[in-house]
Amino acid sequence: MQIDIGQLLAIFISAVFVYNVILSRFLGLCSFIAISKETKPALAMSLAVLFVITMSSALTWFIYRFLLIPFNLAYLRTISFILVIATFVQLVEMIIRKFAPAMYRFFGIYLPLITVNCAVLGVAVLNIDMFFINGKAVQASFFYSVFQGVCVGLGYTVAMLLMSGIRERLDLCNVPKVFKDFPLAFIIASILSLSFLGFNGFRF
Amino acid sequence: MEILIPILTLGALGLVFGVGLAIASKKFAVWVDPRLERVHGLLPGSNCGACGGAGCFGFAEMLLSGKKGVEACRVAEEAIKEKIAKLLGQKLQKQVRKVATLHCYGGTRVESRFIYQGIEDCVAANLVLGGQKACVFGCPGLETCVRVCPFGAITMSEEKLPIVNKDRCKACNKCVLICPKKLFSLNPMTHPVFVACSSHDSGKDTKAVCPVGCIACKLCEKACPVDAIHVIDNLAVIDYHKCVSCGKCVEACPMKTIRIRR
Amino acid sequence: MKKLIPEFLKGLIKENPTFVLALGLCPTLAVSVTVVNGIGMGIAATFVLLGSNIMVSLIKNFIPERIRIPCFIVIIATFVTITELFMKAYSPALDRALGIYVPLIVVNCIVLGRAEAFAQKGKVLNSIFDALGMGVGFTLALILISGIREFLGSGKILGATLIKGFEPVFMIGMPSGALLVIGLLLGFFNLLKSRKEKACK
Repeated sequence: MQIDIGQLLAIFISAVFVYNVILSRFLGLCSFIAISKETKPALAMSLAVLFVITMSSALTWFIYRFLLIPFNLAYLRTISFILVIATFVQLVEMIIRKFAPAMYRFFGIYLPLITVNCAVLGVAVLNIDMFFINGKAVQASFFYSVFQGVCVGLGYTVAMLLMSGIRERLDLCNVPKVFKDFPLAFIIASILSLSFLGFNGFRF
Repeated sequence: MEILIPILTLGALGLVFGVGLAIASKKFAVWVDPRLERVHGLLPGSNCGACGGAGCFGFAEMLLSGKKGVEACRVAEEAIKEKIAKLLGQKLQKQVRKVATLHCYGGTRVESRFIYQGIEDCVAANLVLGGQKACVFGCPGLETCVRVCPFGAITMSEEKLPIVNKDRCKACNKCVLICPKKLFSLNPMTHPVFVACSSHDSGKDTKAVCPVGCIACKLCEKACPVDAIHVIDNLAVIDYHKCVSCGKCVEACPMKTIRIRR
Repeated sequence: MKKLIPEFLKGLIKENPTFVLALGLCPTLAVSVTVVNGIGMGIAATFVLLGSNIMVSLIKNFIPERIRIPCFIVIIATFVTITELFMKAYSPALDRALGIYVPLIVVNCIVLGRAEAFAQKGKVLNSIFDALGMGVGFTLALILISGIREFLGSGKILGATLIKGFEPVFMIGMPSGALLVIGLLLGFFNLLKSRKEKACK
């Protein structure tokens, strides 16, 4: 099985920098704005998202390749993917609660919230669009899919940590009342997104 | 026929996942002490951390495992604490009510050495040459303690000094820990006399920057009938084990630094 | 009937899902590059909202409490799949423009949020009007944002040039422009809200 290193590098750079999941593709924006107020919850959320995205990339690949394509049910991908994701998140929650109660309390309500995180379903669908051509899997598509999942998780983490660091400091400054909280967060995200545009080489 | 395949496939998926989750929920079931919910429900839920537990939930767990007694909670009322003690079969020990006291009376009476423009936070301002006030021991007045108090017990006076509402203060210790000048202390409610200054500068230096600072004149030491107050390192200090709250030091102090908490 | 009109109207302004509740921002920002896309997404989301609200309020008594969220998600996913297939068949250009954001209507916070908060408790007729209100409110918000972005970003609205010789601000068409526009709009709506509160006092 030929794994193209160039392709891997392209996936990594595009997921983390050039087409950053949050700042370019707007996936996972709700949780980004809501949770990036403090660094500790932001870190917890990012790690949880990284884990869930990676595993769900793998699981959805299996379901698509071995269940949906053979039976000609490609149009059922939305329903089956979201089922897989919801089940997986529930399972992970149960396991963490049993074996690592301290971590469970650290994550709090963020773990069940990942089910409706656009990024998870978005990456699953993106994998299909990118690595399945005409209903057939590209060579080593499983590896690419999982790798893309990891990179998207990393991109999410980078954006979250940057944002929470800025917002923590900004909290203590004199912000005009109408811009407090959400509007300012969006404007900061806009400037961040603009700076990430530089990774594109300023070529539109 | 064609419509049967998707129905069966989705149905099978749903069945597999549903059964899987059901099995998992039985296998990974966590036994929770039923008293935990009840105790946690009775606790005030302010999550201040004064008890030493990780929030009210952590405290409830510590209560059940016997690591702490109910009296460690400083927020709940006596009646609630007795209820919890009865639930757990513990005996409640009486605790002295304490309140946070600010040892500074300068505020706007003290001039600023420079104009501070930066993060509006006392800890941040303290990093810049010890704050903008002429007295480096005094309150910078940037309301960090106001923000950190979980009970809203601290407000700023007109002289830019924090005022503690003694009914709201639960002595959770948060303001004591956050103040970069270490101006707060938890004093028992029964002793209202306190020294409203923390300056260790000599009398001359203190008087030059603050009209109400302690000048270490020792008049209070001479006036005290029970030898409870002493001037140590240019600052008057009250020993609350000896103090009887007679107020003689308050009358004797020429700068009106020793005050009675209202 | 009288009681239902406020249900519809509240989704438009008072509880506008985008500007007041701040829900469903992922697709709002992503598709609002042109007004056509905005309207398309708005209509799709309204259809899904309507369908899922009706369905949920019809069978709410048969769903066990503990698995209600997965059940809602499955119902919503079904309607989204219907929308997806419909779009692919009858307007493939729109489908290509909206891209992966069509299946993402499943996890759009608005749809799940209304199902959870409203359809679960209310009657069928109330849910219909609530869904319509929220959907139309969402569409209007999308039209507003995409109108600003399309005009400033490319000088046209709905493909028609409004002002001759207008130099577009290219950044507005980029993702950062979207975030900036919505940040400023949210601030503007906060200002309106605080003015109204001051006037009431």
